[in-house]
Amino acid sequence: MSDITHSAPATQDTSATVHTTATAITPVKPWKGYQRIAFRIAFVFFIIMCIPTSWNWYTHLFTMDWLHLKYRDVYDIARFQPNLWNIESESGRWGIASYASWLAALGIAVIGAAIWTLFDRRKEYNVLYYWLRVIVRYRAGIGIIGFGYTKLFPVQMPYPSISNLHTNFGDFTAQKIYWLSIGIVPWYQVFAGIVEVLAGVLLFFRGTAAIGAVLLAGALANITFVNFAYDGGVHVYSAYFVLLGLFVLAYDIPGIYRLLVLEKYTVPVHYYPSFKEKWQQYTRYGLKSGAIILFVLILFYLQMWNYLYDPYKQPVTKGLADTQGYYNVTAFRLNNKVIPYSPLDTVRWQHVTFEKWSSLTYQVNKPVWLDLSNGGGSPKNDVDRNFELAGVAGGRRFFFYEADTVKQELVLRDKNRSAVNQGRERQRRNATDRPNTSKKKDPLFVLHYEKTGPRRIILYGLNENKDSIYVILDKVDKQYLLSPGNISAGQY
Amino acid sequence: MTHPANLLPPQTWKASWKVLFRFVFIYFIIQCVPLDIRYFVGLFHIHWLELSFRDIFYLTRYSPKFVSGNAPFNSFADWGIAAFIALTGTLVWTYFDKARQQYNQLYYWLRVIVRYRLAIGVIAYGLLKLFPQQLPYPSISQLNTQYGDLSAWKIFAMSTGVVPSMEAFLGLVETVAGLLLLNRRTATIGAGVIITFTGNVFMSNLAYEGGEYVYSFYLVVLALFLLSYDIIRIISLLTLEQPTAPNTVRPYLPQPWHRGLKFALKTLFIFFFVGLYGYKTYASYRNAGYQYPKTPGLEHAAGIYNVSTFRINNQEIPYSLTDSVRWKDVVFERWATLSIRSNRYVHPDLADTEEIYTNDADKNYELAGSVSRHYYSYGIDTGRQIIFLQNKNRHHQREKLVLHYIRPDSSRIILSGTNEKQDSVYAVLDKIDKKYPLIEGRRKPLKL
Repeated sequence: MSDITHSAPATQDTSATVHTTATAITPVKPWKGYQRIAFRIAFVFFIIMCIPTSWNWYTHLFTMDWLHLKYRDVYDIARFQPNLWNIESESGRWGIASYASWLAALGIAVIGAAIWTLFDRRKEYNVLYYWLRVIVRYRAGIGIIGFGYTKLFPVQMPYPSISNLHTNFGDFTAQKIYWLSIGIVPWYQVFAGIVEVLAGVLLFFRGTAAIGAVLLAGALANITFVNFAYDGGVHVYSAYFVLLGLFVLAYDIPGIYRLLVLEKYTVPVHYYPSFKEKWQQYTRYGLKSGAIILFVLILFYLQMWNYLYDPYKQPVTKGLADTQGYYNVTAFRLNNKVIPYSPLDTVRWQHVTFEKWSSLTYQVNKPVWLDLSNGGGSPKNDVDRNFELAGVAGGRRFFFYEADTVKQELVLRDKNRSAVNQGRERQRRNATDRPNTSKKKDPLFVLHYEKTGPRRIILYGLNENKDSIYVILDKVDKQYLLSPGNISAGQY
Repeated sequence: MTHPANLLPPQTWKASWKVLFRFVFIYFIIQCVPLDIRYFVGLFHIHWLELSFRDIFYLTRYSPKFVSGNAPFNSFADWGIAAFIALTGTLVWTYFDKARQQYNQLYYWLRVIVRYRLAIGVIAYGLLKLFPQQLPYPSISQLNTQYGDLSAWKIFAMSTGVVPSMEAFLGLVETVAGLLLLNRRTATIGAGVIITFTGNVFMSNLAYEGGEYVYSFYLVVLALFLLSYDIIRIISLLTLEQPTAPNTVRPYLPQPWHRGLKFALKTLFIFFFVGLYGYKTYASYRNAGYQYPKTPGLEHAAGIYNVSTFRINNQEIPYSLTDSVRWKDVVFERWATLSIRSNRYVHPDLADTEEIYTNDADKNYELAGSVSRHYYSYGIDTGRQIIFLQNKNRHHQREKLVLHYIRPDSSRIILSGTNEKQDSVYAVLDKIDKKYPLIEGRRKPLKL
């Protein structure tokens, strides 16, 4: 639609009116036939892409508690994409076939455009094109701000847990390696968050939309590529924003190309709707400020709260006091039989860690089913928060514990849901559908603990196989080459 | 067509603009044009008949260095000195050049110099990534190093190294952005891409404690200077939505030989820094890259080994995570490097700038930025079945081991000889059938 943006400049006067409104006196140029058809397809396609089609989304919107908003509520409104067609195959999960919903939307758009063409004799869609861009701009802006805040307050990719620091580099999946590599540099994550939020805010204003779209498409193209390269699994949703960004940018590319590359005089011509009636103006300002207040200001506050008190990737329950650290297993008895340390032993614990939150981990030389999810999905319950174990091999076992400091007992529960969770994010199709811990049937087991010194913990009791164990743990003064994370989420 | 005044470059500049330009001109000439004698000394040391991409790479990385120091690049202090010289020069120039109305042509040529300087800077790094070798796939030793025993910069390098396709993609973006700078009409777009890309490199250098943050910021400043020429136009067109005049300054080349010379210089430049350099980096990539040693290691030995038995001075030491003498595991790389994990202190070698070494002995990428493993290069005497180990870390360079090897079967190696303290050592190494989730992928259920 190049002739819209740079219809030849007025011949004699450079100071000609620029802001042509739909009702301006200047005659509106009719579009070419193919442009009209392309627009009709694009219109239907991007409406399907940008308007939530899932019933759950609306249920969530109208049932959530607006007076006691939680981070997840607003984040879930911001986060949706068309889900029209899922193909069950490897490619449908990881490859090109995972874009089937886009193809379905395009199919519907072509059919819709064909019907529309039969009935419509309009010569141009300048104002409708404006409104379509408004919808795409706001959809993209809201979505990316939702993402951006989880980085601005760095919770999306937490600093590696102590157990992760004691895992060999080669024992991580590619996806985990990428996420950890961002997690070790919280300030960099904050910077990435600023870029994303900035891109989103710029998209809310038509004068700055092109710059926002460049930032959005550039940053998200990189993320899309990352997801393909590292098998990150979020390649469809990130490419979604690239597509929206490019659509917004497409409007301005001809002008930029003409000015910079062709080095020609360029006069922008825009068709904006005119708001003559008072109620139209109020509605416009109301909707615009509503979107900005909810997704820029309120979400900022909620995300800050999330960062401070409830970082969604890591458990919130405090760990047992003064236990955080890395431990050598000085002695290990199984059914009263001493087992000496050997890296090849399949039952003796090695490399025990206590996190600052309530996780206990140890390693044994025995394969375990890997949690192959991304460790996301913002579960509410600590036992479901699996970021620390997602994508970690090497025989490490992860336990959530509840400490009874009076009886000196740890009630342990295996965090790895083994067969349930192979290669997929926990099913969570909409906001209200969250994993329910009470239904879990993981066997619990209870260990007594004793702290016989500032650096020594003794654990004993029956393990998950009902064998009696007795373990002496001695804390190691570990110096890491990796610098510690200087801003960390949560209160521990 | 349109008002002529709007299309032509201004024929009289405001006094303040002229002064500012003089400063900017001198400053960027100092920053971009090699005036440093050391640069030419380096130039004369190149063997032009066996020119390597390494030589060209170092040529592209010029920036003036007034303050001597350990840093291989200039520091921000050098920028201050350049600015001071520019300030002095501006005063003199302003005094002698009062009649001058404008610097349209000079501004054009200044931008040409900055464009080309920036272009070779980003293309030099871009092509090292496009043919992915700057950040190679981690070695077996690196895969078997705990995360916390790596430096942030090393983690960045290894995390990118595990996906060569990603590295090539980043290299492509960088190279294309550089190429866009070589044409006046696309230079602004190239500069915009570089600001976001190299701006990100700069932030990464800061965040991951890399050593090239001054240099990457230097490139960003050059790109900002280039973009500033058009930024008012872009804001005028997109944000203010006003009619906007393009750049109309053209180089003034009255004689045909001027144009011929320009064409020849441009062609030569592109041939040397893009064509020849590109070909040489590709050849290096085909030849397994430059970061790891080339000398082949012990045949069919590559892998990680558990140390099943370990004796010092004929005394057996059981498995231990705390003992500082006993080896925990040993890695044979495909090349002649052997690494030993033990509880003995490793002084980290924090090589955090990009260096291209030709001799195997100097190649320290595999051990840089990591502790917990001692890395040794070795020579093999196959007749006597002896390997001569030399610690590669420059902080442990005096350590040498001479070990006799026996290979009873394909998965076992028995080493015996003397260690770095001249104690007798005996170790039985059993190969571990190690599987890596990084290689197995996460698409199918996986038990490891």
